[in-house]
Amino acid sequence: MTTLIVVILLIFGSYLVAVLENWVNNGKFRLTAPLFAAMAMLGRESILSHKPDRLFFEVAPALLLISALLAAATIPLTPNLIIADLATGALFINAALVYVLVALLMAGWGPNGAYAMIGGWRFLGQLMAYAMLVVMPITAVVMRAESLFTTEIVVSQAELWNIVYQPLGFVLFFIASLALCFLPPFDLPTAEGELAGGVEAEYSGVRLAVFRFGRLTLIITLSAAIVVFYLGGWQGPLLPPWAWTAIKILTVTAAMLITGQLMPRVREAHLLSWGWKLGIPLALLNILIVGILVLVFPT
Amino acid sequence: MTAQMFFIGFFGIAAIWFGVVVFRTFSMVRSALALLFSQTALGAMFLTMQAEFLGVLQIMMMATEMSIMAIFMVMFMMDPGGMGTMDMTHQKKLSLWAGFVSFVGGVAIAVFVDWGPIAAIAPGAAQQTVDLGLELLGRSMLIFEMAGLTILTAMIAATAISIQPLKKKSQ
Repeated sequence: MTTLIVVILLIFGSYLVAVLENWVNNGKFRLTAPLFAAMAMLGRESILSHKPDRLFFEVAPALLLISALLAAATIPLTPNLIIADLATGALFINAALVYVLVALLMAGWGPNGAYAMIGGWRFLGQLMAYAMLVVMPITAVVMRAESLFTTEIVVSQAELWNIVYQPLGFVLFFIASLALCFLPPFDLPTAEGELAGGVEAEYSGVRLAVFRFGRLTLIITLSAAIVVFYLGGWQGPLLPPWAWTAIKILTVTAAMLITGQLMPRVREAHLLSWGWKLGIPLALLNILIVGILVLVFPT
Repeated sequence: MTAQMFFIGFFGIAAIWFGVVVFRTFSMVRSALALLFSQTALGAMFLTMQAEFLGVLQIMMMATEMSIMAIFMVMFMMDPGGMGTMDMTHQKKLSLWAGFVSFVGGVAIAVFVDWGPIAAIAPGAAQQTVDLGLELLGRSMLIFEMAGLTILTAMIAATAISIQPLKKKSQ
């Protein structure tokens, strides 16, 4: 039952993300736009490229969707609304999201197209830049909660949200999340106007619809992860827990989409350079600061 | 218990099968990802054996590692897609013998080593994480630090070798 509710919420959330994305990108707020877009996509022919690696080509969109769904399984929306409250929850989210990389590599390699392939391998480079900025801030969050249970991470923020307790970690994780969802300014694997869609270039029809849906689910999942790790999850005054979760997730999603609109696309070399020379030292500093705070002010 | 045994067997066979696929395909990316799914199946075996942390870690780490291996294989192979007719195998007899000897060695270790008493009940998943942390920062610390340092040295050495020397300005 919980699983069903969460899946329905994710589908609805993806729809809202699509509406928001359309609003941010085109300045038009239309509630029906994603539905028409989906209908158009589903109605079109799904073209197969010449000599594809058929297995990868078919599996990639599904794998993208599955990895986002698996990550969502360990995210608590209310104290009780969580599919699997794992003892390794915070680690599991990361483990599931690594398969986004595998999906994009498959999507890049599968269709036997130059643009797609460049997009796929680009995402591997992108992962090199952001992976540590996902893991290390989570480590600091876990250090404060002294538990990998996502529910306990939320409870640990009862007095002070992590965004205040470890703002550096929040900024790094937020940026890494943008890179993980390949949202602008980190949309290197798709790169509209440069790679003609990159990993999406050879997809059309139903397959493209699944791919896009997977990405929307990924965005909503990562927003939820940010809310759980840094914004106190379901906690808040007056309103019921589910309402707070919903408000926070939508706010974070909007922030993610708007951030991308304000910046030019980052170059791969710059991304790697900043990720390793600036991002990782800052993430280590964050762990050090949180470590000191945890030891000096134990809860 | 029987369900547990079934799934251990299932994932074990899956791990072996994907391991075989690694050598049956000529596409380098397929080969690398087959190895990834073999390792993922191993991770699933850990999960089935109630070693949650190890399982999740295995599933997480291998995805990145095998993807990186894939790009190196694509870079260094003449026919990475395996669509040509080129035979990319070599030293077949040596590989056969090396494989056979390692297999026998592995089986011998599994059978003849005294593994100590079998734990009747696995501790809870959260407790396991705590125990693992204490182990890593206690008795096994030296081993892990040495391994980490060795890998770091290898990484620095590999990077140093692969950096192209700057061209002289006079030419």
